[in-house]
Amino acid sequence: MERMSSHSAAAARAINLKKIYGTGETAVHALAGVTADFAAGEFTAIMGPSGSGKSTLMHCLAGLDSATSGSVLIGDTDLTSLSDKQMTQLRRDRIGFVFQAFNLVPTLTALENITLPLDIAGRKVDRDWLDTVVSRLGLGERLDHRPGELSGGQQQRVACARALAGRPDIIFGDEPTGNLDSRSSGEVLSILRASVDEFGQTVVIVTHDPTAASYADRVVFLADGSIVDELRDPTADAVLDRMKRFDTTTTVSAAEYAAE
Amino acid sequence: MSNPITKVALRNIAAHKVRLLLTVLSVVLGTAFVTGSFVFTDTLQRTFDSIFADVAKGVDVRVGTEQSGASGVPVQDIDVIAALPGVKTVVPAYSGGVIVLDSEGAAIQTGGAPAEGSAYLPPDRTLGDPETFVAGGPPVAAGQIALNASAATRGDLAVGDTTKVLTASHGILPVTVSGIYDIETDTGGYVGALFTEQQARDLFTDGRHVQYVDVASDGSVSPDELRDEVAAALPDLKVQTGAEVTEDVKSDVEQALSFLNYFLLAFGAIALLVGTFIIYNTFSMIVAQRLRELALLRAIGASRQQVGRSVTLEALVVGLVGSALGIAAGVALAYGLRAALNAADIGLPSGPLQLAPRTVIIALLIGVVVTVVSAYAPARRATKVPPVAAMREESTATVESLRLRTIVGAVAAVAGVVGVVIGAQGTGGGAAATVGVGALALILAVLLAAPALSKPIVGALGAVFARPFGAIGRLARTNAARNPRRTAATAFALTLGLMLVSVIAVFGASAKSSVNTLVDTGVKSEFMLTGPQMMGVPAGAEAAAAGVPGVTEAVGVYGVQAKVGDDDEFGAAMSGPVDNVLSLDMTAGTERIAGDEMLVSADTADKHGLQVGSTVPMTNRDGDTVETTVAGIYEDNQVVGLWVLSPEMLDRFVPAAARAPMVVLLNTADGSDPETIRTGLEDATKQFVVVQVLDREQFKGQQAAQIDTLLAVLYGLLALAVVIAILGIVNTLALSVVERRREIGMLRAVGMQRAQVRRTIYLESLLIAVFGAVIGLVLGLVFGWGFVRTLADQGLGEITVPWIQVLAMLIGSGVVGVLAALWPGARAAKTPPLEAIADV
Repeated sequence: MERMSSHSAAAARAINLKKIYGTGETAVHALAGVTADFAAGEFTAIMGPSGSGKSTLMHCLAGLDSATSGSVLIGDTDLTSLSDKQMTQLRRDRIGFVFQAFNLVPTLTALENITLPLDIAGRKVDRDWLDTVVSRLGLGERLDHRPGELSGGQQQRVACARALAGRPDIIFGDEPTGNLDSRSSGEVLSILRASVDEFGQTVVIVTHDPTAASYADRVVFLADGSIVDELRDPTADAVLDRMKRFDTTTTVSAAEYAAE
Repeated sequence: MSNPITKVALRNIAAHKVRLLLTVLSVVLGTAFVTGSFVFTDTLQRTFDSIFADVAKGVDVRVGTEQSGASGVPVQDIDVIAALPGVKTVVPAYSGGVIVLDSEGAAIQTGGAPAEGSAYLPPDRTLGDPETFVAGGPPVAAGQIALNASAATRGDLAVGDTTKVLTASHGILPVTVSGIYDIETDTGGYVGALFTEQQARDLFTDGRHVQYVDVASDGSVSPDELRDEVAAALPDLKVQTGAEVTEDVKSDVEQALSFLNYFLLAFGAIALLVGTFIIYNTFSMIVAQRLRELALLRAIGASRQQVGRSVTLEALVVGLVGSALGIAAGVALAYGLRAALNAADIGLPSGPLQLAPRTVIIALLIGVVVTVVSAYAPARRATKVPPVAAMREESTATVESLRLRTIVGAVAAVAGVVGVVIGAQGTGGGAAATVGVGALALILAVLLAAPALSKPIVGALGAVFARPFGAIGRLARTNAARNPRRTAATAFALTLGLMLVSVIAVFGASAKSSVNTLVDTGVKSEFMLTGPQMMGVPAGAEAAAAGVPGVTEAVGVYGVQAKVGDDDEFGAAMSGPVDNVLSLDMTAGTERIAGDEMLVSADTADKHGLQVGSTVPMTNRDGDTVETTVAGIYEDNQVVGLWVLSPEMLDRFVPAAARAPMVVLLNTADGSDPETIRTGLEDATKQFVVVQVLDREQFKGQQAAQIDTLLAVLYGLLALAVVIAILGIVNTLALSVVERRREIGMLRAVGMQRAQVRRTIYLESLLIAVFGAVIGLVLGLVFGWGFVRTLADQGLGEITVPWIQVLAMLIGSGVVGVLAALWPGARAAKTPPLEAIADV
C-alpha cells in the first residue's frame, strides 16, 4: 500500500510511526503505524479528513510532538533519540515552519521576525540570501512594518521568509493557507512552489484544500492514522476526485468499525 | 446558587487556582497592613492605659503645678490644704525618674513604661490600693528599696540583694532590696522603686517643694466641691479631681500614641494603594483573558448587567476571603512587629494583643470595597465589547489613547516640581507642607504619565541591560514596552516603595552628615560623657571625670527651658567656659560670659531684637525671673540651641533636683595619651553604669547608630511594601505568560531553548522593575531634597545623597525583578511548542 518514494534522497522519513492517545478501551490511534519518505527538493502535501492524523504526522515529523513508537528521521538524525534541548536546536537549525495563524511576534518588525530564528541561534544572517528571499517574496517595502500593520497574506509571506531565511533542510507548513483568501493563498503557495523549484527547498504541508494540494509534487492521503493513497503531480480535480473516493472508504470503514 | 451567572462566577474562581491565589494574596497583603497597624497601636494603648488607669485611685483632689517641669508645690501649702474643711488625708508625693540596676549591673529595661522612685506610705496613709508584699517588707531605712514584682523578676533581684539605683540629681546610690510587692497596675515594663519617705524626699525634691499633693475628703464634700475649695485657697496651683487627673493622663497617652497610629496607618494606606494597583492590574488582565468567555455569555443572552455582576461577584468573594485572611495575617504582623521591636531593644511594654471590632470592620470594608471597585472598571470595559467582536478576535486589546492622561500628568508634574522647589526655599511646617503637596502632585503625575514614560525609559534601559542578550534581549525589551499601562501599573508599586525608601535614605544620610559636621566644626573637646536620653549624665559623673589625670577641663552642657518674652524656649547653660569646649561662630561681642551674662544665637537676636548689651528678662519654670545681659551673638548652632547661660546663671536658674547635663565635654592636656585617658575616664565613671565615654569619632558613630536604628524600623515597614510590589510583578508576569502562550509556543517551535525563554522573562521583569525603581528613586531623591531643605533650621543643614545606597537599591530592584520572574519564567519555559498551533 505505502509506496516508497525513491527518486531522490529522503529529507524526512517516518518509520512505523504510531501515536496513541489514552490506554485500553478508550485508546485512540492517531497514527497507526505510518511509514513514509519525504524526498529532498520535493513539495509534498499531506491530506485527509479531520481526525485522520495528518496534523499529528506533521507535528511528529517536525519534532513538535513525540510519537508513541516508531521513529522519525530528519536527514540522518533520529528524532526519537534527541533530548528536548537537541530537538529544539534541530528545529531551530534544520527546520522551517509556516503556521496557519502566521504566529509572528507582534512587537517585532517584519525583518526582525524574519531573522528571529537566526538571531535566537546567534547565527550570522546571510545578507545576500536574505535580500534574495525578501525581494523574491516582495517584502522589500514592508520590512519595517509590524505584523499588525500587514495584511494576512503579507504576514504569511513574512512567515515564509522566516522559514526560508535559515535555509533549513525542510519546511513544514500547517494549513499555511487556512486563514487566507484565495488570492493570498495563491501567492503563498507560489512562494512555496518557487522555493522548491528555484532554491531546491524541501516542503511538506498539511492541507485540506485540493487547490493548495495541486501545487505539490506529491499528495499523501491519510485516513484513520494510516496512509491510504498517494498521488504524483496532482491537479486540483484529481485530488478532489481521490478525496471523494476515500471519503466513502472511510465512511464504510467507520461503519464497519462501529458494527464490531 | 441556582443563578447561572453566579455559577459561572464561582466556577471561574475555582477553575483558575493560581490566578485566584495571586489575587487573594494582593488583598491579604493590603488588609494585613491596615489590621496590623490597628492591632499594634490598640495593644500599646491598652497596655499604657492599664498602667495609668489607677494613677489617681482613691484621690479626690490632686494639687500640682501648672507647668510640668516646675519645682512643685511649696511645702508650706501642705498645711494650708490640711487645714481646709472636709479634708481627711493629705499625701504629699515625692517621686522622680530612677534607673534600677539588675543583678548584673545593667539597667532594668522598661520598654517605654515609666520607671519611678517614690515614697513608701503605710496603708493608713495610702489613698489607692496599698501594695501587697509578696516577699520581704517595706523599706525602713535609707538605702532600702521595695521593688515591684515584675521589675524584680526582670532584674533577677530578690529580697536582701544589693544593687544600685541611679537618679538624675543624686547620681548613684547603693541600695538593698527590702521587699518585693505586687500592685494591680504592674504590667508592661513598669519599674517602681519605693524608698522611705525621708529618702524619697531627699532624692526627688529640693526640700522646699513636693511634686504634688493628693487629698482625700472625709465624705462631707464631693471631689468637685473640694477641688473648688482648694483652688480658691491656692490660686497659683493646678487643682484637679482624681477623675480629671486620670482623664488627663489617658489623653496624654493617646496623644503620644496617635503619632504612631498615624504613622502605621500611613504605611497601611501605602500598602493598600500598592495592593489596589495589583488587584486592579490582575482583574484587568483576567477580564482581558476572559473576553471570549464573557462574549459567549453575552451571545447566548446574558445581559451586560449580568456579566458585570458575575465579575463583581467574583471580586466580592476574592475580597472577602482575602480580607479575612488579611486580618489574621495582620494580627500575626502586629505580633511579629512587637517581637522585632523587642528584639531590637527598642522595647515597648507588652500586653495581650487587642483585636477590636472596629479593626475587623475597617479591614473587611477596605479589602472588599477596593477589590470590587478594582474589578468593576475592567468588567465594565469588558461588557462594552460587542459579543461577536470579542469571540472572533484573538485578542481585542482596546488601545485607548494615553494622550489625555499624559497631558494631565505633565501638568501635575509641572505643578509638583514648582511646589517642591518653592517649598524647599523655606523652612518649617508651612514649607514642608508645600513640599508635601508638590510631592503628591508629582506622584499623581507619575501615576498618570508612567505609561507614556515606559516606552522611552524601558527602551533606554533595554539598550543598556538587554543589548548583550541579542535577540532574547530585544524580545524582552519589546515585551516590557508592549503594554505601557500594564508595565506602568506593575512598576508603580515598586516606584512607591523605593520612593519612600529613598526619601528616608536621604533623611538618614543628611542627618548623619549634619551631625558629623556639627561635631567636626562645633566641638573642640576630645572626649565626652553621655547618659540615657531621659536622664542625661547622672550627677557626680562630671566631677568624677574632671578628676581623671590628663583631663584639663570638664564642662557640662545643660538643657534649660525658660520663658523669654511670651515664648517657651530651650537653650543651654554651661558649667564652664563655652569657648574652651565648643567653637561658636561669633558675629558680635565675646563668647566669654560670667554672672548674669548670656550669649544668643543670631536667630534669637533677630526674633527678640537683641544686641550686645541688651537685657533680657528670663523666667524659669518656678516663675523666678532673672535679668540677663547679652554679651555676644553667635551663628545658629545646634549643640547649644537658642542661647547660652553662664555657670552662675545655671546655679540660680535651674533647681538642683532637675540638674543633669545632657553631655559633659572633656578637654585633655596636650601630648597626653588618649588611650590612658580613656581608661581613666572609664574607671572613674564605671560606678554610674549608664555613662558612656566617647571620643569624637565614637560620638559620631553613636549618633549614626541611633539614626540607623530609627531608620531600620522604617525600612522594615517599607520592606513589606516592597514585598507587595514584588508579588505584583510575579502576578503580572504570570498572567502575561498565560496570555502569550501561543507566542511562546511559536518561539519554542522555531528553536528557542527553554533557558532562552526563561531568560527572556527574567529580562522583561528586570526592565519593568528597574523602570519602576528609577522613577521611584528620582522621586524619592527630589522629595528628600525638598523635605530636608525645609528642616535646615532643625539641624539638617547638609543634604547628602547616599549614592552608594541608591546604587544598591537600583541593583537590588534588578535582582528583585529577576527573582519575581523565576516562577513565571519556569512556567513559560514549560510551554510546549505545540501551543503555537493549538486552537485559540
